[in-house]
Amino acid sequence: MASLTGYATVSMILFSLGAIGVVSRRNVFVIYMSIELMLNGINLFLVTFARYHFNMDGQILSMMVIAIAAAEAAIFLSVIILLFRTKKSLDTDIFTELKQEVE
Amino acid sequence: MIDFVFVALSICAIAGGGTMVLHKNPIYCAVGLLISVLSVAGLFALLSATFMFMVQIIVYAGAIMTIILFLLMFLNIKEQDLPPEPKKNILVAMGVILMIPINLLVLEGVSRLEDSDMSIVEEGFGGIKELGMKLYTDWLLPFELISILLLVALVGAVVLAKKREKRGVKNG
Amino acid sequence: MQTPYLLWIILVPLIGALLNTGFYFYHIKYKKIPEKVFAIIGTVTPFIAFLFTLNLFFKLLDGSANLEQTLFQWLDVDSLSVEVKFLGDKLSIFMSMFVTFVGWLIHIYAVGYMKGDDGFGKFFAYFNLFLASMLILVLADNPIILFVGWEGVGVCSYLLISFHYTNADNVMAGNKAFIVNRVGDLGFILGVITLFFALDQSGLSFETMKTNINMAPNELLILSGFLLFVGAMGKSAQVPLYVWLPDAMAGPTPISALIHAATMVTAGIYMVARFHFLYSSVEEIGLFIAYIGAISALFAAIIATRQQDIKKILAYSTMSQLGYMFMGVGLGFYSSGLFHVFTHAFFKAMLFMGAGGAILALHHEQNIFKMAQHRKRLPIISATFLIGVIAISGIPPFSGFFSKDAILAASFQQGEYLIWGIGMFTAFLTAFYMFRLYFIVFVAPNGQESQYTYTDKTITIPLLILAIGAIFAGFLNFPAIFGGSAFVDSWLSELNSIKLHMSHATEYALMIASIAVAGAGIFVAYKKYASFDVYKPESEEGLIANKFYVDEFYDKVFVQSIKKMSTFFDETVDTKYIDGGLMMICREFVNVGKKLAILQNANVRYYAFYMLAGISAISMYIYITLLGQ
Repeated sequence: MASLTGYATVSMILFSLGAIGVVSRRNVFVIYMSIELMLNGINLFLVTFARYHFNMDGQILSMMVIAIAAAEAAIFLSVIILLFRTKKSLDTDIFTELKQEVE
Repeated sequence: MIDFVFVALSICAIAGGGTMVLHKNPIYCAVGLLISVLSVAGLFALLSATFMFMVQIIVYAGAIMTIILFLLMFLNIKEQDLPPEPKKNILVAMGVILMIPINLLVLEGVSRLEDSDMSIVEEGFGGIKELGMKLYTDWLLPFELISILLLVALVGAVVLAKKREKRGVKNG
Repeated sequence: MQTPYLLWIILVPLIGALLNTGFYFYHIKYKKIPEKVFAIIGTVTPFIAFLFTLNLFFKLLDGSANLEQTLFQWLDVDSLSVEVKFLGDKLSIFMSMFVTFVGWLIHIYAVGYMKGDDGFGKFFAYFNLFLASMLILVLADNPIILFVGWEGVGVCSYLLISFHYTNADNVMAGNKAFIVNRVGDLGFILGVITLFFALDQSGLSFETMKTNINMAPNELLILSGFLLFVGAMGKSAQVPLYVWLPDAMAGPTPISALIHAATMVTAGIYMVARFHFLYSSVEEIGLFIAYIGAISALFAAIIATRQQDIKKILAYSTMSQLGYMFMGVGLGFYSSGLFHVFTHAFFKAMLFMGAGGAILALHHEQNIFKMAQHRKRLPIISATFLIGVIAISGIPPFSGFFSKDAILAASFQQGEYLIWGIGMFTAFLTAFYMFRLYFIVFVAPNGQESQYTYTDKTITIPLLILAIGAIFAGFLNFPAIFGGSAFVDSWLSELNSIKLHMSHATEYALMIASIAVAGAGIFVAYKKYASFDVYKPESEEGLIANKFYVDEFYDKVFVQSIKKMSTFFDETVDTKYIDGGLMMICREFVNVGKKLAILQNANVRYYAFYMLAGISAISMYIYITLLGQ
């Protein structure tokens, strides 16, 4: 079970769960956490292939991804605070001010 | 033995992810994510990536998840603040349908690769030394760039979250 | 033989027209230019053209070959090759001689007639342009260039008839002239096309057509001959396309004199003469032409006996005389028909100019009875008018007698006694109505003393010159039996397909018969009108006085139905169907667009969903291809 295919399956399932979470939830926190879950899945994929090819490059890339996820966390959460301050709600569907009415 | 550990960790990860996607209360979602992250760290260890295992727990579970939980509690979210999500289950089902082809494609591609030995390596792979050797020779430039990125994120976070002053009369 | 002068004959009036146009624009926009400038440009240019024509005439008289001038290749498509080329053979030089000469005299006359008119400069610009177009028509070497001139004279006729455009009646008359001419032009073009194909696409210049005429199938020749004559019917006001000519009298009198007496209306006869090789080989069409001419002559003469407007009487008399010309030309006697064109130009132009002078002197009064009531003494005008009336009635030794008699003799000789009979009766009517006009306007007592009125020299001098021509032009074709040289006959003899050869006795008898008929007409007119009570004008009721209701008939049958069809196409077909159909397609596009716009609801989550759907579709496709390998 712990073969290449197994690890790949697990990582794809995690990725898919993350993607599903992005498109189906309205709570902005849950969207962010789904994005993190997607990144996790990809990290697992990278490390799997690093082991498969016996090459450290995959793990280095994975670490870069974690660093980027950390930076993203900082920005993302600041923006959530800003949005919560203005709209007092965690709903992403209320941000439709770019919409133009059709005559 | 390894298989058993693998299956257990996988189930934990997937269950955590599933909880995160489906649950209404964001705290429960955060906890689910936390469990998933920890399971993935264990899977890293099974793949002989010892350093990644540590980094994952320290950064991901220790910093990022902590910040999320902290923010959730700080914003004092009540039941009525949560957005109503009437069509959640339908959308999740549609999402599952959409993701199936992508999964099939990737797994089909992966399955055509040759089998190889994925057992745990004792020494010489996945440790700090090997990672450091690679990082500071081949991957030096990305390393520097990542540090600049982190600086930018730091500054950005501070700027964004600062309290805005009331707008006065502009000159001219 | 190549000559550079043919172009100059046409170019000089054209330059005059352009100069006058330029000066006229300056005149209305900036500073006023005195009338003298326009008058000098307008009258010098036809004279120069006449001098050039005279030069070429003497060259031809000396026996040179036909003069040609090629300008450039206009069209060269497949087998159709059209050059802009001018031909100066005996026929075209003959025509352009009297066109330029009479045209020049009428230009001088117009200086006096149009004095004080606001559009003086414009008038002379149009007039010169007309002369240039007529010369293009006459000097053309192939039917396409002829058609350019044909259309040009039509346009100038329209421009000049509606010259005083503020009056809506004038504009309607101009429209009528142009539109009826257009019907004729369609026939002309179809005739040229038929001829082109009948001659197996071998070429369009007149000379090539003349040599190749025998290889064309007879039916196509008949068809093209008929169609070409339809064009002549329109241009030369024969039945049934004559209705524009009386209405065209709404234009100023110099135009009636030049265009509708001497030049444009003779373009049809010139065209038939140019195509003589065609009409000689299909004699049925020639006979048809002669009959149409006879019918038109008779019809016009009958209507003219009851008209009350002086210019309309002269218009119908033009139509009648054109009928004579077609009689001559249709029977194959091209030289007689063309000689009648020549003499008619002189006396008809003189009649119109005299009428114009009288109209001017009587303050633009055109009804003959009212003119009689307010008559003034106009010695030169009445004397020249009398000369013109005698000439047109066919009294020797004035010119009208020789030309008309030649045509009637030809018809008698050919055995066409019906045409001869109609010609004789029409001669009687011609004398009758022309003298009716003369007696009422100039002779019938009105119980008042007429005052002498001075007429401008520019009006009287051309009248006198033309009077000389009207009297003596007949001697240019003095018949052989009197010992004359028959100059015109021999000049144009190569066109004739038939020669006059009757016994002297028959010829004398016919001459006496036509003189007698004319004399009878004069006598009847004298009895009736010499002492007519001008204060009781003739009634305007009756079939004849209403021109046989032809205009009303045309209006009901053709104009109204075409108007209805146009309205139908405009309102129903265009607005409802075509516009509606296109608008419906547009509206459907807009609707689809609106429906697609719902997708763009500014909610970014949905956009992420669409992106995922796209990626999913792509990966599905790649997966299936991957499976196949």
